Amino acid sequence: MAHVVLKDLVKTYGNFKAVNDVSLTVNDGEFVALVGPSGCGKTTTLNLVAGLTPITSGDIVIGERVVNDLDPKDRDIAMVFQNYALYPQKSVYMNLAFPLQMRKLPRDEIDKKVKEAARVLDMTHLLERKPRELSGGQQQRVALGRALVRDPAVFLMDEPLSNLDAKLRVQMRSEIKRFHQDLKATIIYVTHDQLEAVTMADKMAVMNGGFLQQYDSPAQVFAHPVNMFVASFIGSPAMSLIPLEASTAPGGTVLTSVEGWSLGLSPRNVQKVTKATTKKVVLGARHSTIKLHKSAAPGSIPAKVYTVESTGDVTFVQAFLSGAVVNVSVPPNIAVAPDEQIWLEFDQERMHLFDGETEMALEAS
Amino acid sequence: MSTIAETASRGQIRRRMRVDGWRWAGRIFLLFMLLYTALPMIWMLITSIKSGFAATQFPPQWWPDEPTLASYQKLLDPQNSVGQDFLRFFWNSLFVSTVTTILSVIVAVPAAYAFSRFTFPGRNFLFFAVLLRNMFPAVIFLVPLFILMRAIGLVNTHGSLILTYLTFGLPLAIWLLKGFYDNIPVQLEQAARIDGATRFQAFIMIVMPLSTPGIIATAIYSFIGAWNEYIYAYTFLSKNDQLTLPVGIQRFFSENTTDFPGLMAASFMMSVPVVVLFLVLQRYFVRALTEGAVKH
Repeated sequence: MAHVVLKDLVKTYGNFKAVNDVSLTVNDGEFVALVGPSGCGKTTTLNLVAGLTPITSGDIVIGERVVNDLDPKDRDIAMVFQNYALYPQKSVYMNLAFPLQMRKLPRDEIDKKVKEAARVLDMTHLLERKPRELSGGQQQRVALGRALVRDPAVFLMDEPLSNLDAKLRVQMRSEIKRFHQDLKATIIYVTHDQLEAVTMADKMAVMNGGFLQQYDSPAQVFAHPVNMFVASFIGSPAMSLIPLEASTAPGGTVLTSVEGWSLGLSPRNVQKVTKATTKKVVLGARHSTIKLHKSAAPGSIPAKVYTVESTGDVTFVQAFLSGAVVNVSVPPNIAVAPDEQIWLEFDQERMHLFDGETEMALEAS
Repeated sequence: MSTIAETASRGQIRRRMRVDGWRWAGRIFLLFMLLYTALPMIWMLITSIKSGFAATQFPPQWWPDEPTLASYQKLLDPQNSVGQDFLRFFWNSLFVSTVTTILSVIVAVPAAYAFSRFTFPGRNFLFFAVLLRNMFPAVIFLVPLFILMRAIGLVNTHGSLILTYLTFGLPLAIWLLKGFYDNIPVQLEQAARIDGATRFQAFIMIVMPLSTPGIIATAIYSFIGAWNEYIYAYTFLSKNDQLTLPVGIQRFFSENTTDFPGLMAASFMMSVPVVVLFLVLQRYFVRALTEGAVKH
């Protein structure tokens, strides 16, 4: 196993910058998820690491080697593709053996390793079949097996679960997680599903528009998103972002809405608001940090219910507030109806404040 | 309730009858097409086993009274002059067509792969330039190509025909194969390159085997084109010992106007290699080789 360092990585296509000055370090044995919406540059970044796409500038280090100009075959990596890319004319056995054959291993050693990988992935009975005779989940396993049979320095995975049905996806998610724990493998995992990233990865790199937005542990990214993009992308349902304006009131600094109401702030949050470049401040709150009141409570803000979605163990209430949609979760025993008048109370400790101009998170000091 | 069910079932019956009507029309049409293509060939075969007298009789003998293989014996006998000519023409045709086919596959495979996988300056222009030749009738190029062949001293050589057939066959071969390569997922090559193959190895070991149906289709196409071509062979070659079969048979026809069985036997034998080639290779067409490669 080895660590991977990306330094000022840039990839341009004509005038379009697909990957923009991305720098990050994946430590030995770490599971890192590259996550972001479609077209954010995450797959391009993975292809740059794999060597399938030549880099425009910057450096890629795998282990102790700078691999910028090395062919994919010389980088000591293995890759699992979204569509599996199994060799259709070869049996499962030959699919697993191919990477070893290309490295000119002796035949009996190949046989031993292939059978070992098949045993680990519980597919010994499938070895003689052709890929077209396998189910989607089995094909996925073969693709995984082909990657792990060779014991590479780094595993690269490009949305390996997104072609599976929902149930199988959850199952394979825990299998890959387990596989990482057992092998202490260095894994770079691309996904557009923030839930996969949060549940599986040691660290997640959130990308948007070719830029690396934030690189930290899922818990940190969840608790302290650096900007409004990360805040809204990570977490489901998304964090509610309410555009407000800072103003001075008799009691101190408050946030006022175009709707006329205003929200008092704790001293720490006042400190944050003073850091903003303009008066525009965006209030961010996750569904679980907002309290729903059926009658006016001190410090709460009036809103009207838009929709109610019951999932069984939690009910999500959507309301419009200051032109933004606010998601609130309530226990299922609280009955709320559309168009009902409610009052929302924000948790001063767990709310997020963003600069309305730069969209960056405001910090106290 | 029962009336609704009855109306529904009557509707179904009517629908099925209409579908059946179309199916029968299709069958009759296909039968007609089959007769249209097969009857002349059957007549050719029957005539080839008649005697010279029986072939010209009227009303015709539907089945010869005395079937004979004499015409075939004569054509395949290297001892007499007719046999010598026929076998030489046959060999010439086989040589020209085979070389054309091999060269066309050797050039078309990498060219089609390049058009399919790489972006390079002038790619689109080149691709359409390749097809430009096929937008004109072949005869238009007869005189220019003849002058060109004379200038480079290739008139009266098989090389002139091979070059000409390549200019006809290659564009479509490249176009056809490009379609095949477009349908082979690029991830297969990427996987191979990560698994330890060079780009060239990935092409040879993974992509080439998957494009076998395309390569075979291309080969058959070039072979048939070269095997049947008449007008260029007629123009470029004048020495008797170099003629290809289509021209040779035409000579045969004008020199032996009465020998219909011989002519038909020669025509039949000319169609044998193409039919055999097709029967041997057709099973490769049927299988979709990339099935199971990727999940969509």
